Amino acid sequence: MTASLPNSTPKTASRTVLEARNMTRRFGGLVAVNDVSFDVREGEIFGLIGPNGAGKTTLFNLMTGLTPPSSGTLTYEGRPVLGLAPHRVAALGMSRTFQNIRLFRALSALENVKIAQHTRTHAGLWRGIFGANRAEEMQVERRAWELLDLVGLSDRAGEEAGNFSYGDQRRLEIARALATEPRVLLLDEPAAGMNTSEKGSLTTFIREVRDRFDLTVMVIEHHVPLVMNLCDRVAVLNFGQLIAMGDPASVQRDPKVIEAYLGGE
Amino acid sequence: MSDFLQSYGFLLVTLIQAGLLGLSLYFPLMAGQLSLASPGFYALGGYVAAIMLTNPAFAGLRDTLGNGIFPLTWLAAGLLCALAGVIVGVPALRLRGIYLALATIAFIEILRVVALNLSITGGAIGIFGIPQTFGFQDRWQYLLIFGPMLLLVLAFTYMLQKSRVGRAFRAIREDELAADAMGVPPTQYKVLAFVIGAVIAGIVGSMSAPFLNTWNAKQGTFDASIAILAFVLIGGSRSMWGPVVGGALLTAVPELLRFLQDWRLVINGLVLVVASLYLPQGIVGALGKLRRSPPPSRPPVAPTTDAKGGTP
Repeated sequence: MTASLPNSTPKTASRTVLEARNMTRRFGGLVAVNDVSFDVREGEIFGLIGPNGAGKTTLFNLMTGLTPPSSGTLTYEGRPVLGLAPHRVAALGMSRTFQNIRLFRALSALENVKIAQHTRTHAGLWRGIFGANRAEEMQVERRAWELLDLVGLSDRAGEEAGNFSYGDQRRLEIARALATEPRVLLLDEPAAGMNTSEKGSLTTFIREVRDRFDLTVMVIEHHVPLVMNLCDRVAVLNFGQLIAMGDPASVQRDPKVIEAYLGGE
Repeated sequence: MSDFLQSYGFLLVTLIQAGLLGLSLYFPLMAGQLSLASPGFYALGGYVAAIMLTNPAFAGLRDTLGNGIFPLTWLAAGLLCALAGVIVGVPALRLRGIYLALATIAFIEILRVVALNLSITGGAIGIFGIPQTFGFQDRWQYLLIFGPMLLLVLAFTYMLQKSRVGRAFRAIREDELAADAMGVPPTQYKVLAFVIGAVIAGIVGSMSAPFLNTWNAKQGTFDASIAILAFVLIGGSRSMWGPVVGGALLTAVPELLRFLQDWRLVINGLVLVVASLYLPQGIVGALGKLRRSPPPSRPPVAPTTDAKGGTP
């Protein structure tokens, strides 16, 4: 593999990383995700919007193995993803944050980030017991601090994650997701609960993270200005179905999207 | 000194034994699993040792090994309990919370009924006349095996908690789903935690059979489950010192209160109620609150690493 170039401009990058085909999930009579197909290209920031209950989080849950699909396929770099257990999806290189923040609340910020390096480290029971894991532990420790630096929380590394403010918890969750060394990062409403200034810096932050770690990013977001600024392309879900996809400006003008948000007659 | 050991040797060994059983239950709890199976593995380990030390089928082995038979009983009990731990753990750990606890109680009951009805376990009478470990003359000499065992288990626990495996256990305890999403396979680690507890309980059982001289179906019953759970809860379930302190205390208090005669059970019950009301995190948990742990310190920066780590 060649040394990575200074980040290629995402809009011209065309290699497909994620390929979703006819993804469907039924809960009894309700079709939460209905026949959804899309491609995500390498390096882009792909937005997923839609009214409440449209199936956005369910789609993320399908993609990360938390909810088994009813039918359809998803491939990451050509490899099937659907049906894998969540930890296998993480090992494959896809990591996520949660809409309703699921940090390890009683553990320190540092430990949250250390735990997420699990799939990239190897020391088993006996190496741990006999202290033969020193070099690896050192590496885990260092990397955890670097990630806390990145999200600006290294001053509070020892504090319990549950004590952090909403915005800080969201950032810590991003650091934890990055600790799994993903190639694809899925952010579920990263701006929810953040104050205005935090929201403002979030766009820059997500771009920086994308560039620094060569990531492809999928983001669910409600805050319209953020989506318009941040995303290269946007897909719109309504009642589980994909009703529009394209660059933010044209999606915003799409009559079907306007109808979904404002209601038709 | 030797007077002291003569009088209190038996009690001291019992204190350590309680601490070890508390620790065996602490392991599944570390991974967030409420298992009450320890007494079952304790009974199983005890039967392994009792059978190997008394059954005619092992006479040849005993003659050949001499005192070496005793460490072999510990090893055999540990291995058998590891195997039984996997067999019981894999299906049982699909259950959560109180349902897992109920399943492990069922496991204990099954073992008890089986032991009552097999001839190799001596049926209802059990196995008696179990020879003393290494030909010990006095009860207190068992401190020489239970003491090192406790130190070994504590060292094991300490190292485990600091390691990647310990972090995986804690992650699962905090939020199993999030742990899974962050790359920690929950089932694998829950079974591992359960099996470690089983092995410890089994070895303690195999050491206890000669100590008690006799082994029967009354060893390791549901009552013992609750007693051991109390050790952990009163001592504190978030630190490895909790089960040790709780086990020692709850074993010692009834003895120290012996002068109160029948009232001692009342006092014992009172201690349990007061402790669970006022020390919800256990004694060690409450003490830990008094002492603020220092903030973690940053390791020296290595010049060659950058934040990306791993391979591109």
